[in-house]
Amino acid sequence: MTLTTFKLNLGPQHPSTHGVLRLLLELDGEKILSCEPDVGYLHRGMEKMAEKLSYIQYLPLVDRIDYLAGFFYSELLCRIVEKALNVELSDKVRVIRVILLELNRIASHLLWIGAFLMDLGATSPFFYAFREREMILNYFEKLTGQRMMYNYFVFGGVRKDIEFLEDIQNIISILPQKLNDYEKIITENPIFKRRCINKGVLEKNVALDYSITGVNLRASGVDFDLRKNDYLYKGFDFSSVVLEGKDAWSRYKARILEIKESIKIISQALDYLSKNEKLEQKLINPINLKLDNGEYYQEIEAPRGIASCYVKSVGEDKPYRLKWRTGSYYSVNLLRKLLVGEYLNDAIAIAGSLDIILPEVDK
Amino acid sequence: MNINEFINIFNDSELVDNKIVIKSKLYEAVEFVKNNYSYDILKEIIAIDNEDFGIELIYHLYTTVDEEDLFLSITVQNEIVSIVDLFPSAQADENEIYDLFGINFIGNKNLKRLYMPEDWEGFPLRKDYVQDETRLAWNDSDNV
Amino acid sequence: MNYLYFLYIEFLAKYNIPKLFGDITFYIIPFCIIAAALLVVVLILVLVERKLLGFFTQRKGPNRVGFWGILQTLADAFKLLCKENITPTKADRLLFNLAPILAFVPMFVAFGVLPYSAEFTFINTQTNVILYLIMAAFPILSIFLAGWASNNKYSLFGAMRSVAQLLSYELPITFVILSVVVLASSMNLTGITLAQFSGWGLFSWFFIPCFLGFVIMFISILAELNRCPFDLPEAESELICGYNTEYSGMRFAIFYLSEYAMMFANSIFITILFFGGYLSPFGKYFMSNSFLLYFEQAFWLFLKASVLIFIMIWIRATLPRLASFDLLKFSWVILLPLSILNLFIMVIIKFGGFLCS
Repeated sequence: MTLTTFKLNLGPQHPSTHGVLRLLLELDGEKILSCEPDVGYLHRGMEKMAEKLSYIQYLPLVDRIDYLAGFFYSELLCRIVEKALNVELSDKVRVIRVILLELNRIASHLLWIGAFLMDLGATSPFFYAFREREMILNYFEKLTGQRMMYNYFVFGGVRKDIEFLEDIQNIISILPQKLNDYEKIITENPIFKRRCINKGVLEKNVALDYSITGVNLRASGVDFDLRKNDYLYKGFDFSSVVLEGKDAWSRYKARILEIKESIKIISQALDYLSKNEKLEQKLINPINLKLDNGEYYQEIEAPRGIASCYVKSVGEDKPYRLKWRTGSYYSVNLLRKLLVGEYLNDAIAIAGSLDIILPEVDK
Repeated sequence: MNINEFINIFNDSELVDNKIVIKSKLYEAVEFVKNNYSYDILKEIIAIDNEDFGIELIYHLYTTVDEEDLFLSITVQNEIVSIVDLFPSAQADENEIYDLFGINFIGNKNLKRLYMPEDWEGFPLRKDYVQDETRLAWNDSDNV
Repeated sequence: MNYLYFLYIEFLAKYNIPKLFGDITFYIIPFCIIAAALLVVVLILVLVERKLLGFFTQRKGPNRVGFWGILQTLADAFKLLCKENITPTKADRLLFNLAPILAFVPMFVAFGVLPYSAEFTFINTQTNVILYLIMAAFPILSIFLAGWASNNKYSLFGAMRSVAQLLSYELPITFVILSVVVLASSMNLTGITLAQFSGWGLFSWFFIPCFLGFVIMFISILAELNRCPFDLPEAESELICGYNTEYSGMRFAIFYLSEYAMMFANSIFITILFFGGYLSPFGKYFMSNSFLLYFEQAFWLFLKASVLIFIMIWIRATLPRLASFDLLKFSWVILLPLSILNLFIMVIIKFGGFLCS
């Protein structure tokens, strides 16, 4: 008997590829024999642009690398400049940045929960997750004037003092109840469990080999969280979520638990802010900002794995070379291995569980 | 890791700033640190075009056991051996560098133009890349 | 039906129209009524579903066209009518055009078979349960044709899944219907309805002895309708739109229409089998006038059917989609043995004399 296979082009226009990912699948019936991801439909030349723009001109653009977690990328660029000029952030600036980063992480994870359940065919959780995300985005809009591309962090501090703290208080008091609702409608749902438990098993060594970081790695049982050694998070009491399940279900669960940890961090930060300290920051004059000759490297724990920025400067007002590392890019590469042998039906769920976002992949 | 031990074995390497610069034997060096010092993640490969000096590749490795970073730097002209069978994640980086810097990774069979069109000439992140108007209008001829 | 026939002939005689004309037209009129009613029912059903899904997910649902969004589906239908019909170049043109027609035509027969009130069954044969069953399974043929003729891999997947699903779920349905037939000693839908009639009202309906059968039937009907959680043939996140990916304009509208019409017909069918059809739940009717009585009976039927439709929409808002292997396994391993067991229990109840009637 000869085996006849055929090729299926999943994407770039497809409802469940979360943007413009194209997967070239070779199928035997519904079974996937090989998978070849093809990216680049959203490439904006972020790294090339950096070589033509000064640092302050480039700062508003970096939010767009990952439009669901823009704060993380502006934080990275700011940290690079601060590192180069040896500027130490005051405690209050640190706390403000931590609050916004963690809120952004929650918003990003909430969107993932909605999109993942949408991939599995449940429509309602999408709207429930968006309802909670909406509160966070509304707060961001109130504070920064933008819902997605905030441009709020500046070199050496933040653009203005944090306001509307009662809104954050409101968000973190409502969220835990809503998460319990999710547990009722999603986590204990037998169909959901059957579709996620033992699906897309990502072994520890495979995850490491494929450079998977962030929540996906922690759900495979590796305790690797950059926040623990980050000076931004110094003094905050939190634990990183490590699960041993290795499957799609534990990646889901890890994100829910991570939202709870973020809430913990935010409430500690709010306690600090209630002391009403005055905002002290030494802003760096961005006009004619030149970094010394040398190489600068900074990494941070973004919602989709480690994000890092490398800058080589030759003493000009523009970077000589700037390189981003984004978590999703490596998750896409992992699909080559993870989808093989799965059925089309499960493949969508597995790809969804990795939390891939395409602007981050294409840069 | 013990840097001196590493430098003893790969005797053409030296420590510059906080990265180890090696001249050759990249594959062996990566294999060595992976097996002996349990560097288990290749976080990324950074490519920098240093114009006259050639293109510098920085291999950023990390060990979850000792929680240490390692930067291995090597300067190449046009091609280098691929480490994709040591770290499958290198497929992503090598493909990107192949596309944007035009470096051929020997041993990696899956290299293709990623962001740029298949028939694009030149490599955008190289310093000698000229961006002129005719290039920007590259697909206008299709629309006539 | 005879009563209506005489009314009609009398009505024509008033205006001196020959009886022959009446004889011929009497059998055509019902299908015109069905066609008109179908459109209205589907328009309402689509609106209701969208509204309810809106409420389930904390939205308002359609609320712009007309008061409270009432005209939204009408506007959508109009939009679809005006749209261009696109046929893919490499599609099988004949089958591609035939598929929507095949999806729609059996609907008329299926609706004609159902008894809406005591005298109101257009096609009244001794075995119209079986006729209904055939007509209900008919759209699958059109789904398969559509999937094949579109020359699209996603469509083909949808069609493939759809056929597999129908083959697995048609068997439990047949066994459950068989057990109801045993209980009612009739293969006529009016007969089944009347077998559930007694002074006890809703306590003599078949869902009490045959509750297991009702649950199996409801699940299987969901699967046969390709509704959530069995919507694999048109799983949006996997197959874009399944078998009707390539359809546009009016052809797409016809698929859509037949899908919702089938949903409505099947809920009426379940109501007839298990919830006493047009019977009043109180054991007696409120209207004494025979003509108004028909309306009361139809009212009870539609009320019960809409409760079932509400549950279907509710399920759609709650559950994720099943995995493809679970879907088949669920039918062959769980539903089929249970439905056979159910048949045995019904035989024992019927011939052991446990049934009160």
